[in-house]
Amino acid sequence: MIKKINLLIVVVLFFSVQQGISQEWLVPADKQNVKNPLEYNLENVKKGKEIFMRECKSCHGEPGKNNALALTPAPPDVASTTMQKNSEGAMFYKITTGKGIMPSFKATLSEDERWLLVNYFMNFNPKKSPVLVVAPPVKATLSAQVDADKKLVTVFAEFKNKKGEEEKLTETPVNICIERAFGNLPVGQVITNENGAADFKIPNNLIGDEEGFVTFVVSLGEGFEAKKVVLDKAKVGTPKETPKLIRKGVIWSTNDNIPMWMLLSYLGAIGGAWITIGYVVFQIMRIKGMSKG
Amino acid sequence: MNKIESPEESRKLLNKIVFDLTRSIVKKDELTRFWFFILIMFSAVGLWGWGIQIDKGLGVTGMRDYVSWGMYIANFVFFVAVSLIGFLISSTLHLLNISWSKPISRVAEQVAIAGVALAGIIIVNDMGHPDRLLNVFIHGRFASPIVWDVSVVMTYLTISVLLFYLPLIPDLAILRDRMGDEVPKWKMKIYSILALGWNGNAKQYKTIYHAMRVLMILIIPVGLSIHTVTSWLFAATLRAGWDSTIMGPYFVAGAFVAGSAAVVMLMYAYRLRYGLKEYFEDIHFDQMGKLLVFVSLLYLYFNVNEFLVPGYKMKAAEGVHLLNIFVGRYALMFWSVQILGLILPIILMLFRFFRKPLPLTVISVVVLIGAWFKRYIIVIPTLEHPFLPIQNVPAEFHHYSPTGIEIMITLFSFTAALLIITILAKLFPVITIWEYAEEKGIDKKYFSEQPKS
Ligand code: HEC
Repeated sequence: MIKKINLLIVVVLFFSVQQGISQEWLVPADKQNVKNPLEYNLENVKKGKEIFMRECKSCHGEPGKNNALALTPAPPDVASTTMQKNSEGAMFYKITTGKGIMPSFKATLSEDERWLLVNYFMNFNPKKSPVLVVAPPVKATLSAQVDADKKLVTVFAEFKNKKGEEEKLTETPVNICIERAFGNLPVGQVITNENGAADFKIPNNLIGDEEGFVTFVVSLGEGFEAKKVVLDKAKVGTPKETPKLIRKGVIWSTNDNIPMWMLLSYLGAIGGAWITIGYVVFQIMRIKGMSKG
Repeated sequence: MNKIESPEESRKLLNKIVFDLTRSIVKKDELTRFWFFILIMFSAVGLWGWGIQIDKGLGVTGMRDYVSWGMYIANFVFFVAVSLIGFLISSTLHLLNISWSKPISRVAEQVAIAGVALAGIIIVNDMGHPDRLLNVFIHGRFASPIVWDVSVVMTYLTISVLLFYLPLIPDLAILRDRMGDEVPKWKMKIYSILALGWNGNAKQYKTIYHAMRVLMILIIPVGLSIHTVTSWLFAATLRAGWDSTIMGPYFVAGAFVAGSAAVVMLMYAYRLRYGLKEYFEDIHFDQMGKLLVFVSLLYLYFNVNEFLVPGYKMKAAEGVHLLNIFVGRYALMFWSVQILGLILPIILMLFRFFRKPLPLTVISVVVLIGAWFKRYIIVIPTLEHPFLPIQNVPAEFHHYSPTGIEIMITLFSFTAALLIITILAKLFPVITIWEYAEEKGIDKKYFSEQPKS
């Protein structure tokens, strides 16, 4: 009897797992046509975008760019037909329940937040006119210098306006990063003034390389197309301390801090052996001379 | 040793000895050529495999992230082990004035040279970038057992070659003076150059005795070091199965077992092939059998220590390792090696019958094969059980098994070693003529006489 129950459990489990992996994602009929309680407008789409960028982008990628994570099944792009053929109710249902790798957001996002996401998704629906349109990036040029004495990074930015003239880029955030071994570390942001310029005060406790050199990387934020400025090493940081990774006390060590007795034992043993070998070779060479005597 | 007084008798006996002991040099028949052909062909196939490995990288071996020491290192330890016999027989027994060991010295020295030379080559085998061997000398850390190992392997090789050469000098003079047309010109030329103008005066003998004595004493610490340092490559780590304080003597004892077996096999081959029944006598086999029993018992004693003590405690990681070799994946190999390769030979060789040439040789073959697999068991299972769990890696990373190319290259090391030994045997007498003749009571003054033809 128990065996049969066990078998039954295995079979049920097997089928439910199968279902979880491969089957069509079905939405109950009553959930299909639930109405979106929130209005489709710019404000709600913007709010939805914010949540999407925070919670969903890591898997689904950015809408329209087809840069989702390579999972199986693949998380569909928001702008794709796979996604957009869902009704609003179906989208809400799927976000709520989740399936397989797609997590359920019932507990992490409020009902309103989930509807905001649906609003954002509607921005890419072919049947609706988008309310949030991202302007094409503005071409800009950026320049920057380090003043090591005053401990300042001075930035200047301009862009080509519609008439094709160079114009100062005002009231725009500029990101200041420094180069580290595994990427750029953001250290601050400055806003350009009416002259398109801004100063970044280098903090006193900024740590540089072993000699205190720092390489700054200056860039404009989203919405601009501008070359990053990488500044040459400037001696504006405090030198990095390089701790000795191996203590002097251990026997195994680098040649710099090898214990003296070990070095002498090694060299003594090898040297002794080779001197003796040399002595023997010398004796062998003498044999030849002895053949006369 | 009783001196032969009559000059006639002395000369007659000396002629016979020289005739017998140079047979290996003179003999040239189909079998010789066939043997060379086999060795060179297999070596070439192995070298070809090595070429593939250098071209494609170590990915062609079975070694992966976890098991990064495979068959090559096991093979390296084996060859170092085998080479250690040189120091036991041609130095220790010599210094102890054990006379039966004298005719065997040169055989032991041949094994030592071939073994340690190949050990050096195998280390390079194990490198994906052989050119980076130089880095050991440029950037090596003096506190690293690897640097010690490289140093001591080179030192031991040099001493072994010198210890082979020194007692050879008077023999070379005998060859130079006595051999005629049956030996090709280039060989005669080698003899005459290497003989260093030897004419056998008292001063020369004195020098050679002195130099030999110095080398025999020097080779004892160096010989012990070479295998002890090899054991430290393992024992200086914290890995289960290697983290042991008796690794050094354990390896040295095991080395004597493997080396003695190799020497017995070679003695038998020479005895058969070059008709040296009167030189490698039954008593030599009998004594080698006793030596083999002695060193095997010593090795068994270390084995009991090495496995019983950790097995008694079964510390977490150590326990996993021990179960793996006692009852797990390596159980069959482990117990075969211990029983067939160690315990059974010990029991058998206690009986005089099994110390006769043929039975002893058969036993030695089994012992030597066992010794090889023992090194495999020392090196690989430990690496399959790191302290941190093996995660998120392809299944093939979990266990090691050698690939065809690895086996090819390993075969190469054997054929290359045999090639070295064969060349040595074809160039020089396999027993030191002058020492042997002197042992038989022939005065030194007859050695430098030209035979009347
Ligand atoms: C861990 C990765 C991951 C995250 C994070 C994630 N998703 Fe998904 N999502 C998936 C996968 C995988 C699928 C495809 C599931 C399937 O078809 O079985 C999917 C499917 C969907 C679908 C259904 C598409 C269809 O085929 O009908 C919607 C709607 C959706 N996700 C919305 C979201 C929203 C909104 C968020 C953020 C709140 C989000 N997802 C976060 C992985 C993720």
